Amino acid sequence: MIRMESDMYRKVVITGIGLLTPLGKSPAEVLGCIEGGQSAARRPGFDTSSLLCKAVAPIVEFRPEQYVEDVKSLRLMSRDAQLAVAAARLALADARLEPGRTYAAEDIALYGSTGLTGMPAEEISALVRHSADSEGNLDLRQFGRITLKRVRPVLSFKILANMPICFVSIFGSIRGENGIYTPWEGQGAQAIAAGVRAIEEGLVACALVGGCDVRTHEFAFVSLQQLGALRSWADHGEGPIPGEGAAFLVLEEEGRALARGARVYARIPRHALGTTSRQSPLADALSALLVGLSIQRVSHLVAAGDGDRRIREAESQAIEQVSLQAVARLYPKRFLGNLYAAAAAVQVALAATVAQRAGRGQRVLANCFGYGSQHGSFLLEGA
Amino acid sequence: MTRVVITGIGVLSPVGNGRHDFWQGLVSGRSGLGPITLFDASEFPVRIGGEVRDFDMSAASQAFPQAARCRDRKVLLGLEAARGAIRDCGLPEAPFERASLHVGVGLEMLCLEDLTPFARAGEIGQAVASQLPGMLNGGLLQTPLDTTAEILGDRYGFLGGRFTNCSACAAGAQSIGEALRLLRRGEVDLALAGATDSMLNPLGLGGFSLLRVLSAENDTPHRACRPFDASRKGTALGEGAAFLVLERLDYALARGAPCYAEAVGYGSSMDGFRVSDPDPNGKGAVRSMTAAMADAGLAPGQIDCVSAHGTGTPKNDVVETCAIKEVLGPHAHEVPVHAVKSMTGHMIAASGAVEAAAAALTISQRCVPPTINLDTPDPECDLDYVRGKARPFNGNTVLSNSFGFGGQNATLIFGRCL
Repeated sequence: MIRMESDMYRKVVITGIGLLTPLGKSPAEVLGCIEGGQSAARRPGFDTSSLLCKAVAPIVEFRPEQYVEDVKSLRLMSRDAQLAVAAARLALADARLEPGRTYAAEDIALYGSTGLTGMPAEEISALVRHSADSEGNLDLRQFGRITLKRVRPVLSFKILANMPICFVSIFGSIRGENGIYTPWEGQGAQAIAAGVRAIEEGLVACALVGGCDVRTHEFAFVSLQQLGALRSWADHGEGPIPGEGAAFLVLEEEGRALARGARVYARIPRHALGTTSRQSPLADALSALLVGLSIQRVSHLVAAGDGDRRIREAESQAIEQVSLQAVARLYPKRFLGNLYAAAAAVQVALAATVAQRAGRGQRVLANCFGYGSQHGSFLLEGA
Repeated sequence: MTRVVITGIGVLSPVGNGRHDFWQGLVSGRSGLGPITLFDASEFPVRIGGEVRDFDMSAASQAFPQAARCRDRKVLLGLEAARGAIRDCGLPEAPFERASLHVGVGLEMLCLEDLTPFARAGEIGQAVASQLPGMLNGGLLQTPLDTTAEILGDRYGFLGGRFTNCSACAAGAQSIGEALRLLRRGEVDLALAGATDSMLNPLGLGGFSLLRVLSAENDTPHRACRPFDASRKGTALGEGAAFLVLERLDYALARGAPCYAEAVGYGSSMDGFRVSDPDPNGKGAVRSMTAAMADAGLAPGQIDCVSAHGTGTPKNDVVETCAIKEVLGPHAHEVPVHAVKSMTGHMIAASGAVEAAAAALTISQRCVPPTINLDTPDPECDLDYVRGKARPFNGNTVLSNSFGFGGQNATLIFGRCL
């Protein structure tokens, strides 16, 4: 699905960025770390002896109470929800946008992506500890009779996949069009595209789009390994480093943004979403995406490739196949780790910052794909 | 604007499987609620729910070899419902290259059985991380929520996008609404859209019990869910799946496909209020319905029937009633309003899709299913709720509401194919 700028559509610009990543929380800080070759990877605090990947990219200092004043609410929120609310608030502040004042709350759309439910190990431990019989098997009678009474009701709020974005709506006072997609980077690209299209087609004047994910805990590593998402470590001795973070972007209709004097990072004149079929090579699907975007040259490419050699090589092949000239290439995931459902918004946020720095008319391509069949590319233009 | 019609319906629900049996179950006013049999819930505070009966998980997994080792019931329910919809639309199972796939889902299933062997370990996460990868032989600790979409996408060759929407109880309606938009834009010629969910597992049932939104009337399961009744005590958890095949009208006409209904409007909104409660003023619900009517180009007087979200929880039913009255004005009292959940229970993510299937059939079969167990109407719920018995229907439009836990709202409107 290719979307090209046209007179039929309103023009969309990025006016706010909110990031919480293992390498910092401002785009300039994160870019500085990446350009300086600083990696967020470190050894996990859990036993990795049976795991293929031995590194993790956590956010070391995150104080959710800086972003959510109400401590009671914090207790309802999983870590990915806390990160999402924080990043969304940073994005709104960066855009100097106050829902309900700058735009009516119902005229702001919210499209987000969330990852595998961040089942907190300590809370799951509490669930099963009291539910095992003397031989260590699950005793459902015990679970119903004893365990449920010891579990805090708020657990449900922490494990439902839509909750992080609902919390963003509540704390951001956003009440418009919405959708939540899951669980990989490609679905993050779908969320961003949904926001772009909602503005282009005049459904809303403004959209908050982004994603959050926490893959730094033991269960996430086990799940990723079982899915084969860490296979590259076994095959090539390198691979993705699971990380955590959140990123949100404020998108606005260009005319409205300029009228209110907003600072514009970049325009989004074109984007494309695609699907990889199991039968065809990934590089072919990616090159089809780039062909659709009809671009010959960009000043920068924010590449999707990380340590996974298959994905990195497919991306390079696709770029060669379409003869795309990318003057400079940036590989954020090599330094930031892979933030999965949050990764697409991080990619586009960094691309917007690069485009702003590069100047008016300079084009930057952000590729958003990785594990899973869905992928997206966004062409940005310095404003 | 490109017109979009529904040409295939596949359903698995507590009141019947397959389009025909599902519809017969609904119009006969049969309750699909009963004691939980899927696992030993005998010591749970809530021991009742709406199970999909006569569903052979092993047969379903054989039909989709990629799901052969899948333990997640909602994945298999979704695959079977989707297969039913594709069969129903009469298209060959050819690659659907210019077609999109939209799947609404709920919560990942976590198999507690996998974890209890580690229960004595002080740090269960540590123990799992060090031992589990080698122990499970591929049985997934967490089944990613895009599993249904990926298996269907590969089997049928969907290349126009595979969307997995996890907007809780609004996910099914949002999936169908998003499919409608893609078709209208001409980006695809056909879409398979729907949702699947099963929370009838220890963690799902236990979690909802803790939230105190479920009726614990374990001795009378068939009466446990009583939307709009003064004595209602909460909803009942159900499971199910439904998929619709949506096509451009010209495409459907060209191949002589039967049209159940036309998809004419979609709107969504967020309450932005509290995660645990709907906005008491129903503003989010009002905006969702209003947006869908604007999208359809319909005035309040042109809405002929409302398929309510109707959960049977004390708060929801009053808020929804007020919202319907605000949107439809005096016309609200002339419109039949019914609640499918009175029979199926709340199928969470799947509910919006199952109710969309019911709405399309309401139009094509010219009959409004009843709201059962509504013996003593709540004075604050004063609309025409089609109490007890199905009713003939000669209207042209049905509005279907889905309001999600967390504050997401979605409304679909279906019309008669004229």
